[in-house]
Formats: sequence, C-alpha cells, structure tokens
Amino acid sequence: MPHVLPTLRVNVLFFGRVRELTGIAEETVEISEGATLADLFERYAARFPQLAGFRASLVASRNQEFAPWDTRLSPEDDIAFLPPVSGG
Amino acid sequence: MHTPEDIDRIELLHSPIDPAEVARHVRADQDGATVTFDGYVRNESHGRRTLYLEYEAYEPMALGKMKEIGAQVHQKFSVHRVAIVHRLGRLEIGDTSVFIAVSAPHRAAAFDACRFAIDTLKGTVPIWKKEYFEDGAVWAEGELPPAPPPAAKPAS
Repeated sequence: MPHVLPTLRVNVLFFGRVRELTGIAEETVEISEGATLADLFERYAARFPQLAGFRASLVASRNQEFAPWDTRLSPEDDIAFLPPVSGG
Repeated sequence: MHTPEDIDRIELLHSPIDPAEVARHVRADQDGATVTFDGYVRNESHGRRTLYLEYEAYEPMALGKMKEIGAQVHQKFSVHRVAIVHRLGRLEIGDTSVFIAVSAPHRAAAFDACRFAIDTLKGTVPIWKKEYFEDGAVWAEGELPPAPPPAAKPAS
C-alpha cells in the first residue's frame, strides 16, 4: 500500500498582474501538512513558470495579514501572493 | 462612550465618493480644523495620455489595513475623527479615487495625520490600479509592502 502523506486544504487568491498571469482569481488546493507559504508558491511557480521570476516582488498574506515566507499553512487558511500595491 | 470605530469612517466604495459629505462627517464643534486629501485620476502617466483607470482590491484585507491605519492615526496624533474612503472599479479622469479627512482641535496634528494616512495607505493597503491608454494597459508599478520577519520558533 502506498504511503500517503497527510494533506490540508487552503484557499489561494491572486490579484492584479498576478491574477492575470495565472488566470486564477481564487481556488482551493491540497498541500502536504507542514508546508510553508514558500512551498505553496513553488508549486505555483512550477505550474506557471513566468511566476517564478516574480517572487522577489511579491509579499505573501495569510488570513488577511502579511506573513513571512516560512509561515506554515493551517487548514482552511486564506493565502494570497500580493504584487506591489498601487492604491491611492 | 465613543470608540474610534463609532466615529471614524473607513470604507471601500464601488460608487462615486462624495468628498464634501466625508469631510462633514469628521467635523465637530470641539474641533478647530479639518485637513483633507483628495486623490483623483490624472489625465497622463509618464507622458502617456490616460483614458481611465481600474482599481481592484483584496477587499477584506484592504478594509482591515485601512482600519489599522485609522487606529494608528489615533495612537500617533491628537486628532478627533478620521475618514478614509477608497473607490474601486472603473474611474474616469478627474474622479476621486481616495478621500481622507482628519479633524482635530489644532491644525498641526490634522496635517500630520492626513499625510501619514495617505502615505501608509499607498504603501500597505492591497489595492491595485490598472492604467488604460490608447495603445494598451499596464498595472501601475506600486510599492511592495514590507514583509514581516521570519516566523519565530514557537515557544516550548
């Protein structure tokens, strides 16, 4: 029987130029328990190679708060990878 | 007893902002001054003629960050009421995109608080602006909000 790692589900949101690049506004994904924001981003960077070069100009948020890349994900988290903001 | 949440006005709108109405909201007899900031859509960007703008936001987070700015204003400055209103969606040339009003007993605090509020909004609130020109459209460059330091090891 294959060993199955436990997973958790998080909600991922994209805005602005990153939303246009991925074509995704919001989706739910499963990822291994213990994964960090950086791990989740790497998964998207593999899926959308153009995104990889963006990481230095993105900031991550978890549950509507800016969060460091080494933050571990929890079930049902709302995660976003935010481009530079330009309100005002 | 009034808390800042009762008397302040922090909003995201999908309809036009009425600057005069927002300015009236913060004005009270115990104040001696209101300072306002009216940010509106310019007709050019880096020498290109702008047709219109579109604003989008991570709305719950943007509203939360705007409320944090309101709370910081009360902590840092001797002011009475704060209003921060940002509009989203398509805006035409001259439309107000953001309006901030701060009332205070004395003008210096109101000037300082209003400047702090717009500067902090522009650097930290997750709102994005796309500029439409005759020959295309671009996302405005913007500012990257500071990321918090790496998570501390959980205490045992």
